Amino acid sequence: MEDYKFLFKVVLVGNAGVGKTCLVRRFTQGLFPPGQGATIGVDFMIKTIEIDNEKIKLQIWDTAGQERFRSITQSYYRSAHALILVYDISCQPTFDCLPDWLREIEEYANSKVLRVLVGNKLDREDREIPTEVGEQFAQRHNMYYLETSAKEAENVERLFIQIAAELMEQARCKELPRYEIGSESIDQNATTIKTKPCCNN
Amino acid sequence: MCFSCFSQFRPRYKRLVDDIFPALPQDGLVKSNMEKLTFYAVSSPEKLDRIGEYLYQKASRDITRKRDSYVKIAMEAMDQLLVACHSQTLNLFVESFLRMVQKLLECSEPELQILATQSFVKFANIEEDTPSYHRRYDFFIEKFSSMCHNNSPDLFIRDGIRLAGIKGLQGVIRKTVSDDLVENIWEPVHMDKIIPSLLYNMQNPRYKVDSEEKDPTVLAESCFRELVGRASFGHVKSVIHPVLRHFDLHDLWSSKLFAINCYRLIMFSIQSQYLYTVVESLMIHLDETSKLSSKIRTNIADVLSKIIAIAAGESIGPTVLEIINSLLTHLRTSVTRQSTNNMTDVDEEEKNYQEALISALGEFAAHLPDYQKIEIMMFIMSKIVQSKAVMAFSNIDNRIHLICLKSLLMVCSKYTSIHMTATLPQSFLDPLLRCSRAFDSQIRLLVQNVLHTLFDRHGNGTKFIKPTLEFSLLNFAYEKCSRSDTIFMSKHGPEIYASLCESLEHKNNSIDNVEAVYKTFALLCLELTSEETIGDFFHALINIQDLALTNDSLPHVLKYQLHTIVICLLSLAAYIHSINSLQELVNTIIKTRKEVKALHLLPDLCIHYEVLPEHALPKGVLLDQIQLVECLNHAGIDITSKNFPLVHRHSWVESAPISSLSDVSFLEFSSNSSSPSIERKYPHEDLTFEAMKQVLSENVDKQREQEIVRGVQIFEQYKSLPFTDLMNISNRNEEDTLPYKLGEIFNKLNTDSNLRSPIRYDEQKECYKPKLESLFPECFVY
Repeated sequence: MEDYKFLFKVVLVGNAGVGKTCLVRRFTQGLFPPGQGATIGVDFMIKTIEIDNEKIKLQIWDTAGQERFRSITQSYYRSAHALILVYDISCQPTFDCLPDWLREIEEYANSKVLRVLVGNKLDREDREIPTEVGEQFAQRHNMYYLETSAKEAENVERLFIQIAAELMEQARCKELPRYEIGSESIDQNATTIKTKPCCNN
Repeated sequence: MCFSCFSQFRPRYKRLVDDIFPALPQDGLVKSNMEKLTFYAVSSPEKLDRIGEYLYQKASRDITRKRDSYVKIAMEAMDQLLVACHSQTLNLFVESFLRMVQKLLECSEPELQILATQSFVKFANIEEDTPSYHRRYDFFIEKFSSMCHNNSPDLFIRDGIRLAGIKGLQGVIRKTVSDDLVENIWEPVHMDKIIPSLLYNMQNPRYKVDSEEKDPTVLAESCFRELVGRASFGHVKSVIHPVLRHFDLHDLWSSKLFAINCYRLIMFSIQSQYLYTVVESLMIHLDETSKLSSKIRTNIADVLSKIIAIAAGESIGPTVLEIINSLLTHLRTSVTRQSTNNMTDVDEEEKNYQEALISALGEFAAHLPDYQKIEIMMFIMSKIVQSKAVMAFSNIDNRIHLICLKSLLMVCSKYTSIHMTATLPQSFLDPLLRCSRAFDSQIRLLVQNVLHTLFDRHGNGTKFIKPTLEFSLLNFAYEKCSRSDTIFMSKHGPEIYASLCESLEHKNNSIDNVEAVYKTFALLCLELTSEETIGDFFHALINIQDLALTNDSLPHVLKYQLHTIVICLLSLAAYIHSINSLQELVNTIIKTRKEVKALHLLPDLCIHYEVLPEHALPKGVLLDQIQLVECLNHAGIDITSKNFPLVHRHSWVESAPISSLSDVSFLEFSSNSSSPSIERKYPHEDLTFEAMKQVLSENVDKQREQEIVRGVQIFEQYKSLPFTDLMNISNRNEEDTLPYKLGEIFNKLNTDSNLRSPIRYDEQKECYKPKLESLFPECFVY
């Protein structure tokens, strides 16, 4: 018997040092690790949440932002249900790179993947990207938009819960991208849309 | 226990499973109960799926409640059941087993992850006889790859998890690779994860412990080997591609040592029939990285040169030429790039790159059998001939030729020549000799170097670097010229000598050129002259002396140098063939030269001589031909008996498949000889010794006059005779008829019409001109 009804894969991408790992840590472990080192390759976290009395398991893949790991990180996009594209609101260059990231997502991820733009480090006083700019960019590229602070735990929970809710909605409408059998799919045991098997005691 | 009364109503398998857990977790698995469970599972295998499911649920609950020791016990039980299962019933159990493993892998505790991996590896080592088409390993590959990159601050944990990750990957590979029906591990999605993970662990060895158990580097290496070794033809590319990508992204080319080691590893692990693919992929990668800095390209080329030898042993047939061809293409692009880039520092790096490529070429050639080396030499030569401008005008062409010749020299240096007929077939010798007359002095020098390596079979090359008269101390190693070599020399000797002489005619000959030609002559004399063929050698020497005497366009320095090498070579021939009379003659000449202070005619060669041209050649310092003939006759060598064609040039151009610019004169020549009726006189062709003397003694004006007279004669004849008579005359010999010759010329022109140079075009026009003009070729030749 499975202890969850849905399993979603969420992948975080974005430049190095925008706070991807901190977001994940904050969400999964409820802590903000100061002086977090650069992620190497890909990190994995799991978190089960409950929405509308349904248990949802989120597989969170936290990718390295550094250019040199690009080849391995790209290979994780493919089977993602949701992609969280993170930038640092206090750092213009991380925002400027967004088009590049989008191009990469276009190339490597499923076309129906849920895309969310996140401006992180809301707690910083030296904001460089106004909310509207981020919002406009998200709108233009058909993405959800949210500003968060991993440090202050602001909007972090909301971010993941919204994603889960949205994915669940999609799954219910059968819109969720179903990955072809044979190339990429989630582990067979946890089929994407898991209907509870009948009790078999 | 209060549970016991209820437990009576529970299914038996559940009771058995519950019983294996001890009351206190630290007691560990209850062994006796575990045996009962195993016995039950084996005797009623249909219950296996339920047992597995129940164990999984219990473990999941324990994980959420953080009761790790119970989790471990559950996992241990599962391991034991897995091993006990018969293979037919395994499938029932595997599903819950893998879910259990996944569940543990999802935990953040390193200990549980490592435990899960161990169980997975156990599972991977079981050979299943029934494939399970539905089973998927995506998650495992993703998770294990991620573990390979673990960056825990605790080194112990970091290594532990990385090791576990690598072992897990190894397990997945073992499980899937042999069975194409399961998961295709060779898909790029998987390879893009597996390969970078392994390479990442290989690239920074922190310490070297030679045990796979402890060092991720070592383990990753052996896993990588295994993976590469299992790749079949279709999959080699899917392995190589991520490797290249990883190397690019992590800038691993710049740490040359790792790149070389890693590629060696690949070459030694890969199935030998696919070695070529690796080489090919590197070459393609060179193409793709052409925009990158030449340093990286140099390093890639370096790697190539280090591994190419391994591939050489297995390459056969067309693949060999393909590799050579693509190396040459890279060289060519590099040269072109060099000429578009004018910065000198770039130039320097580009040069290194070219050198690396050439050494790759050499490495490759060195490991091929000799007959293939000849093929390669001919192939490279054909590349030079193809580009056609042997007399090279454009700078780029020239550089390309230089590079090609350098490559040729590299290949030659790896070749051991035994029989000259095998080493220098006509189709190789011809273009080579043509190159030896090229306008560029560097090209000529390289061609001489090529000849040196081919002729020098006994390692005497270093003894002939500078012309000298003292040979007794040099201790030559040589054998008597073999029969087949004698035949070779009597066939090709005149051509070779003629080309050598002609290469000396160029005004831009430096001292290096002269010394190189000297060395070629010396090697020829040592290796390839027998009594039958030595006559050609002496004729060539006389030719050189004549050249120095008659060719006014040559700088004086060069003339002195020519005289010097003639005397040196003569002395060498006398020494090697022990011709005492000749040695005496040489000694007298040397003595005279010393007496009259004509030291500029004796070695060593200098760049500058302090002699006035008018005092350069006092009486008696030259080699007198009559004396030479006499003393040779004395030694039993008759060089007058044969009608040696001393100035033999052009005669072989006819047989060359693609004619060079020298055809201009060839065309004149042939149209000249096709002019009918008049008794032909070739001032340069019937050179018996007597005729030679005559030509020498005759003064040039006289010859001129004769030519004019002849011209007028022909002209008159054509003007006065009726057409039919002319027809008769010209039909005398089928081969000589004008239409025949013209047809031949047109054919020639057609074959290379696509490569036509402007000059060639004019020439062609000339041939299309009204018959009248062509009918009187001699008139306008002179």
